[in-house]
Amino acid sequence: MNGQIMINIWINEERFEKMREAGLSGMAQDMLAGMKVTRVKVSEKQKDILLSEFPMAKFDSSTTGTIELLPRKVKDEIFNLCLEKKSTGEDVIEAFILRVRNGRT
Amino acid sequence: MKLTGHGGKEVVERILPGGMAGSIISDMPELEVDTQTAHECIDIGYGFLSPLDGFMGSEEVDSVCEEMSLPDGTLWSIPITLEANDDTIRKKGFREGDEILLTYHRKPLAIMKTGEVFQLDADRVAGKIYGTSDPKHPGVRRTVSRKGKSISGKVILVGEPEFQPPFDRFWLTPRNHFSLYRDKGWEHVVAHQTRNVPHTAHEWPMKYCWFAANEDLSVEVPHTGVLVNAVIGEKRNGDYIDEAIILGQAELANAGYFRKDTFAVSFTLWDMRYAGPREAVHHAIMRTNLGCTHHMFGRDHAGVGDFYKPYDAHSLLKQVREQLNIKPVFMMENWFCPICSEVTSSGLCDHAATAQNFSGTLLRSMLIDGVQPTRQVMRPEVFQTVQAASDTYGFGSPFVTDSYLQNRGNVFKLADPRKEVSP
Ligand SMILES: [Zn+2]
Repeated sequence: MNGQIMINIWINEERFEKMREAGLSGMAQDMLAGMKVTRVKVSEKQKDILLSEFPMAKFDSSTTGTIELLPRKVKDEIFNLCLEKKSTGEDVIEAFILRVRNGRT
Repeated sequence: MKLTGHGGKEVVERILPGGMAGSIISDMPELEVDTQTAHECIDIGYGFLSPLDGFMGSEEVDSVCEEMSLPDGTLWSIPITLEANDDTIRKKGFREGDEILLTYHRKPLAIMKTGEVFQLDADRVAGKIYGTSDPKHPGVRRTVSRKGKSISGKVILVGEPEFQPPFDRFWLTPRNHFSLYRDKGWEHVVAHQTRNVPHTAHEWPMKYCWFAANEDLSVEVPHTGVLVNAVIGEKRNGDYIDEAIILGQAELANAGYFRKDTFAVSFTLWDMRYAGPREAVHHAIMRTNLGCTHHMFGRDHAGVGDFYKPYDAHSLLKQVREQLNIKPVFMMENWFCPICSEVTSSGLCDHAATAQNFSGTLLRSMLIDGVQPTRQVMRPEVFQTVQAASDTYGFGSPFVTDSYLQNRGNVFKLADPRKEVSP
């Protein structure tokens, strides 16, 4: 997993229930007092596309290897795509980028 | 009611009686002051900084730096000085004995009787107060950036600032604090210093401190209160917005996590120096002037980065304990323990290996993502209040942004008594 780029998504009780229904509860890791995090995988190429589509976002290359400061709506949509695709892999981000691009044109 | 404050001295208000200002100030030379000085004028005027009655001169600054006391021996840890640039001083020709009208946003704020005009050695002061001259320290930057000369002098407010919603509901002068305790029947009051929206690792220590501060008072009727005293001062990008802090804290009692007869929220105008141990002593002094009997001090109180060791502030407070008219309540690190299944203290829970820390970064990222935390992280009512404050006051964010800095509402406004004289 070394060097794998990730997006962290917060999972509260409500979201955890949805993940459980999608069979993804194993993908949520306990962080703080019942708040969990799920990590969605991002390829190098997808990272570059996300950073150019959302210039406010930052890639924390030195410590966490995560993409931070994505708008709330983006993270909500990525979470919904995880449920839809029953996945937390790169296919989720692929679908998200496709949606963004279709929304544009 | 006699108000006994820091050093056992009476807290005195220094405010011109209503209606007098207009005729007195109309011909005075004016000096426009910055936000920090405006806050400190108001603090001096109401007695938050008692026994100070004005801005310090060189002898006082030296004494505070070297001895951590005023020249008369009263404990004091942070210099309170007024700076003006050399050009202004030369042009206006301020001299000892002159009365100057201090203005803020061009409105009359206070009259100062000029004492000494002197050159502050900011680097030396920074070294003594912060224990470092590293410009990465925000307090060092604050002290060193105040260019020009310092002017000492006694201060009297020309009128009372008008606090704006939502702050008006939480504005209490030292006198008002003492009255509040009398009305609530509080014999002991423990102060909680904050610049945060409360999560449960703030709430639980306040609750522990309530027991600690109650000591041997009877408990059938509450005789002890928790006073959340927020510090409101200059904001930086990424800080919590003041409105979210104060409304979020108040929500703890509105939603019943504290009884209304054991809890109150107020604020003090103060620009944080992040001076760690010395700032902790200063907070103790200010809360003594608000009539508090106890003050909670957590890990790395008023520190920044890794400039201070976690319990440096506690050590200094212990050293000066005899000179404090307030009892410190020391807290260790708090965490959530999944085994104890509660927020607890590192001094009690022996499950350090599995403890989950409340880091500011984690809380910030939950709030930015708008994902409602579990109630064991943040109370749902507090979360909703913070979200509402973001929309109403924060331009969509609970954190300070450029839009907030440029367009936020005033915390207070000043009337212009000169207008009443010449309409
Ligand atoms: Zn434990």
